Amino acid sequence: MVDLFALALSHALLALAAWRLVLRGDLDRDPPRG
Amino acid sequence: MVDLALFLFVMALLALALKRPFLAVLAYLYVDIVAPQKISWHLLASIPISLITFLAAFGLWLVADDKADSRFTLRQGLLAVLLCYVGATTLTADFPAEAADKWAWVWKALVFAIFLPLTLRTRLRIEAAALFMVLSAGSIAITGGIKTALTGGGYNALYFFVQDNSGLYEGSIISCVAIAIIPLILWLARYGTIYPRGPLVRVFAMALIFACLLIPVGTQARTGLLCIGLLGVLMLRTVRHRSLYVGGAVVLALVAVPFLPASFTKRMNTIENHQADQSASTRIAVWKWTLDYVKDHPLGGGFDAYRSNKLTIETRDAETSGSTTDIETRTVTDQARAYHSSYFEMLGEQGWPGLALWLWLQASGLWQMERLRSRWSKRAAAEGAGPELQWQAPLANALQQAQLVYLLGAAFVGIAFQPFILMLIGLQCGLWSYLKRWDEPVAARPVTVRGVVPASAG
Repeated sequence: MVDLFALALSHALLALAAWRLVLRGDLDRDPPRG
Repeated sequence: MVDLALFLFVMALLALALKRPFLAVLAYLYVDIVAPQKISWHLLASIPISLITFLAAFGLWLVADDKADSRFTLRQGLLAVLLCYVGATTLTADFPAEAADKWAWVWKALVFAIFLPLTLRTRLRIEAAALFMVLSAGSIAITGGIKTALTGGGYNALYFFVQDNSGLYEGSIISCVAIAIIPLILWLARYGTIYPRGPLVRVFAMALIFACLLIPVGTQARTGLLCIGLLGVLMLRTVRHRSLYVGGAVVLALVAVPFLPASFTKRMNTIENHQADQSASTRIAVWKWTLDYVKDHPLGGGFDAYRSNKLTIETRDAETSGSTTDIETRTVTDQARAYHSSYFEMLGEQGWPGLALWLWLQASGLWQMERLRSRWSKRAAAEGAGPELQWQAPLANALQQAQLVYLLGAAFVGIAFQPFILMLIGLQCGLWSYLKRWDEPVAARPVTVRGVVPASAG
């Protein structure tokens, strides 16, 4: 049960982070510096 | 169910990597740290998932990623020289079969550490790599932390996702790594943009740090307690209110002691009385043996050279009753004992040249992070400095603290080639190279289309 909770929580956060990264334009190129 | 979920998770990461190649690098970080193929019993266990993710990371970088900002730094060169040297000692190892087994994973970890900085071209990529490393190691810390809180754990008794005693699933190693990632958790909570600063992020970060602190308690690894002590001292350098911090730490320690399991307190007491502890006495005997060994084998004996040792250890246990003290002396013989220290592991297996290379790699990392910290702290404090100048010095500081914690833990655990730590070194190389480029005027940047530009500086 504890293992399942730890796996679910960490993997949900990893998955959400991956999804957010895909949507970010600055992943592959830094925005121009002011 | 877990089997299928883990499989789908890795496949989803690789699918996203087709759109954004860097996701394959993150997938490899995850696979190498969590080792989901060990947790899985069918789908992932039946395919070479580590190799697949590495090939995806390298292949997609080669074919689809922009390499104009990739640089090859001096420390990556050191890693490459170490890789060649270790390869050579493997060919002449005292125990060829055992050495080949260790070489099978060490070369991959070294190659990935050389490769990782080439992909860290943007600030977001550096943050993403740190986040994936922390959350991946954090998954083990979360389960270990909760189980420690519920059951108290026990030496060699704390079970993580798998019944396995290798990699991050080994008690002393996860204790050291769990404490080493705390500075990175703090940095991500404060300067992260993937999960921006906020109450939810703060609560999760605090809970994860608490879980990390519980790992040495649950595993009863003495190394972990020393690592906590060192990190506590290191943080004095950057905390805003030092007296409040020291007071809080003392109160916390006093409050925590009654809740600690008796077996933990008993085991920690053996740090002081190492003569009565066979494990500690054996370590000292192995270290002495290693010093003797390299007198005849200055170039090292290759991986697992310790297998030829035969040790005679004398332990002394003093028991006081009233005004008399009885000293009980026992003689124990042992053989093929591991080094239990990365420094002696490097010395025995790779000889003086290998140890020198490894120490150079570590020392140059500390020095580079110190330079970045100093330079970017001044910039951040300058008048008119915006938020884009605030994250660099704290990250350099966090990576330096993580490395120092590792270097202390490494004195008592044989983790010279631990992949997680090599990733940390890769992250340092990436940050150093990225911030060096920051200072290059755009017009002065070498123009390349697909090639990798060699960096002139270390």
